[in-house]
Amino acid sequence: MRVGLFVTCLVDMMRPRIGFAALQLLEAAGCEVIVPTAQTCCGQPAYNSGDRDSARALAIKLLDEFESCEYVVAPSGSCAGMIRTHYADLADGREALARRMAALAARTYELTDFLVNVAQLDRVPGEYRGSITYHDSCSGLRELGVKTQPRALLAKVPGVKLREMEGAEECCGFGGAFSVKFGELSAAIAEKKCDCIRATGSDAIVGGDLGCLLNIEGKLRRMGDDKTQVLHVAEVLSGSAKRGG
Amino acid sequence: MENRAMHFKARAGQKLADVVLQDNLGKAKSKFVGMRARAIVEIDDVEATREAARVLRNRALDDLDLWLEQFERQATQRGATVLWARDGAEICQTVIDIARRHGVRKVTKSKSMLSEEAGLNLALEAAGIQPVETDLGEYILQINDNEAPSHIIAPVFHKSKEEISALFARTHQRPALTDIQALTREAREVLRPHFLSADMGISGGNFLIAETGSVALVTNEGNGRMVTTLPKVHVVITGIEKVIPTLEDLSTLMRLLPRSATGQSISNYFSLLTGVKKPEESDGPEHLYFILVDNGRADMVGGEFSEMLRCIRCGACMNHCPVYQTVGGHAYGWVYPGPMGSILTPLFTGLENAIDLPQAATLCNQCGVVCPVKIPLPDLLRKLREKQMERRLRPLAERLALLAWGWMARHPQLYGLATRLGVRYLKWLAHDGVRNDRIRILGMATEWTLGRDFPAPEGRTFREIYAARKGNP
Amino acid sequence: MNAREDILGRVRAHLRRDARNAASGRSALDAYLKARLQGPRPKIGGDLVMRFRAKSELLSSTVEEVTASPDVPQAVARYLAAHQLSTNAVCWPGLTGLPWRAAGIEVAARPATGSDLVGITGCFCALAETGTLMLCSGPETPAATSLLPESHIAIVPARRILAGMEDAWNLARTELGEMPRAINFISGPSRTGDIEQTIVLGAHGPYRVHIVIVRDS
Repeated sequence: MRVGLFVTCLVDMMRPRIGFAALQLLEAAGCEVIVPTAQTCCGQPAYNSGDRDSARALAIKLLDEFESCEYVVAPSGSCAGMIRTHYADLADGREALARRMAALAARTYELTDFLVNVAQLDRVPGEYRGSITYHDSCSGLRELGVKTQPRALLAKVPGVKLREMEGAEECCGFGGAFSVKFGELSAAIAEKKCDCIRATGSDAIVGGDLGCLLNIEGKLRRMGDDKTQVLHVAEVLSGSAKRGG
Repeated sequence: MENRAMHFKARAGQKLADVVLQDNLGKAKSKFVGMRARAIVEIDDVEATREAARVLRNRALDDLDLWLEQFERQATQRGATVLWARDGAEICQTVIDIARRHGVRKVTKSKSMLSEEAGLNLALEAAGIQPVETDLGEYILQINDNEAPSHIIAPVFHKSKEEISALFARTHQRPALTDIQALTREAREVLRPHFLSADMGISGGNFLIAETGSVALVTNEGNGRMVTTLPKVHVVITGIEKVIPTLEDLSTLMRLLPRSATGQSISNYFSLLTGVKKPEESDGPEHLYFILVDNGRADMVGGEFSEMLRCIRCGACMNHCPVYQTVGGHAYGWVYPGPMGSILTPLFTGLENAIDLPQAATLCNQCGVVCPVKIPLPDLLRKLREKQMERRLRPLAERLALLAWGWMARHPQLYGLATRLGVRYLKWLAHDGVRNDRIRILGMATEWTLGRDFPAPEGRTFREIYAARKGNP
Repeated sequence: MNAREDILGRVRAHLRRDARNAASGRSALDAYLKARLQGPRPKIGGDLVMRFRAKSELLSSTVEEVTASPDVPQAVARYLAAHQLSTNAVCWPGLTGLPWRAAGIEVAARPATGSDLVGITGCFCALAETGTLMLCSGPETPAATSLLPESHIAIVPARRILAGMEDAWNLARTELGEMPRAINFISGPSRTGDIEQTIVLGAHGPYRVHIVIVRDS
């Protein structure tokens, strides 16, 4: 399987190790992984802010870069969701473009969804001896149906104890640009999520979207919690996350 | 009602700091969300029922003129008078004309969101007619100097019983009671004489049934029945989008509405009113008026936002919205709060009068998942954001930032350079002598760091590390 | 231009209404009205009476069964005594033939007033799906009798307990010439949750609803 890895702009800038973890997992699943080097952004910030023109331009750029791959995989429910469920909307009646977008959408997956349902990854390289709780990010869950896949993979990690939090499916308050337009409100919503996380007493909170994770980590630290680890599911599965590290 | 939606952000800030409100919001959330979840599973096939509801609502909206004419014909045949109003001023004038025609001095009202849109109570008072709200929540608001409702189903869910107790003691000139049951009984005793002596009853209408020319009222307290049975004149004020084709369609919607709103299998009272009383009957109005209202609805028909017209005013969207759950309804500044309010307020009162509302959402779609008529609320919010962009209604700094990002992202070399510099700068900012993993105040995004830290980046970009590794395998 | 023409005019313009699609639209409308398409309905199987009882009780009504109509007044008398309620009631005219006085109940077949404490009605039918009474207003079946008094007693013939609302519409279409002025579906005592989302029974309507199901009617 020729898989194009779209690392996402947040991973590229903030946590490259998540991109490398995803790469490692895809290779462990037997994929040939291509990383188009000119990749930047899927266009979601522009799309959600109402700037269709920029969003379309970035969508076409991504289409050009990834079209030749058999699959496109991103360690992010929101970016994969953007490609899979919203790119078609940007075609604006241009038929050839619409067809290309639809074709790309059908081959685009969030990482854990791909590993479970397409690559059917049997064993994961990682180990994590501790308790974790999982945050279901909104686009992953509601746009792509990502719910059981990360849990199925985490169950294969030796040492992991999963504790479900109350309100796991509730929004963490990130919302992309929302977090910097309505910062106070965003932080207040994040606080409720962090209360639920801390109530589980887990060593780490794990999720599939870096936007959510940065929001949660920032809030935990401001709340005085320096202990709860904030990890992307790819890090736990690949073994690049060390307990307490 | 006066539109204060422009002050959303400031009001939201106040609401966050309001400890009593936050406590009430927390309690209300678990009740509304939990109760809906338990009730909705009583329906054998929820998704099929939602889909049927979407289809039947669209059926009426796609031929709205024909279905309204059908309703009008049927209602008129049964002795009702069907009137039309373009805006709040026409609603008020029409009601006052009717009241004057029948020598009305006192009006009892059961819940009507449209009368809120029109500011009807104030207009009636100015015309020397006494309006008495009878829905317990609306009554509480009325005696509290006509405070605005904070939720479309539970108008005073932002108030504690202590606040209500103090309000009753002051207004009714009786000793303060703290027991909720006793407070309710007191309201019953105070309001009953009004029910029995009112000349006219005004209600909203949950649905208008074209087949029979009837109005459906969904209530729990009994005040809806009182207001529409006892006075000699009954006026129904409702939006043109409320018309549905048949009684069967009504039954489909009635499986979803009470469950979505309050978690009830069916509302306590569900009344279908058709025409006026016959001479040999002992109760019912002698005169029935329908005021079918536009106030922004007609121009949504057949347009980009027409799906919003399917709304059956259940309140499920706001009950499940993380933003609403955090600030309550008053921050939204007008009649309708939450996701549906963030869409209707700009559409009804002007996009330029409610700039923040479509932006104040994370687009999480918790609302869309529970909407009984499958309105794609996040998509409509996004469309409003597009409209704002087109009309240059967002701050210049924001538009420039987006343009810059979009342009950069299309130029990978430049993007790579800028991001490499950027993450190094951020990483440097994070060194504060004590730790090096977070930034406490981020000048370029102070909104983020108001309430949380900004985690430091690793310091190099994925693209640069990957390129280096490929260069040195 | 008056409001009606203005509003309908704009709606028609937005829908691109012309003579041709108006004609086809109207025939589609007529066809849909005739078809009476039902939406998805839950399966209500088994004993409708049992289900009606169970659902009614969940809504805080009290329910009992008697064998035949003449047994009703004694059952009602027991209920009133058990709750220390007045034995003076208003009732629908059609119910005066039952042996009330022998059971110690004074009934008056007149419209209810604001000070009546007990109202006794029959019903048009009842819905097992939700434990709901359906009352149709009329000269012999005034609506206020089930609304104004503090206690509402409803006599329900078992054979009039139907599965759901759609069945009630069909029955109404068959039996009644036209829609009554008011069809009231009643599902328990009046209630409100407006204060702190706490449910209180007895808002503006009755505090209690007692249902007497009559098996052989």
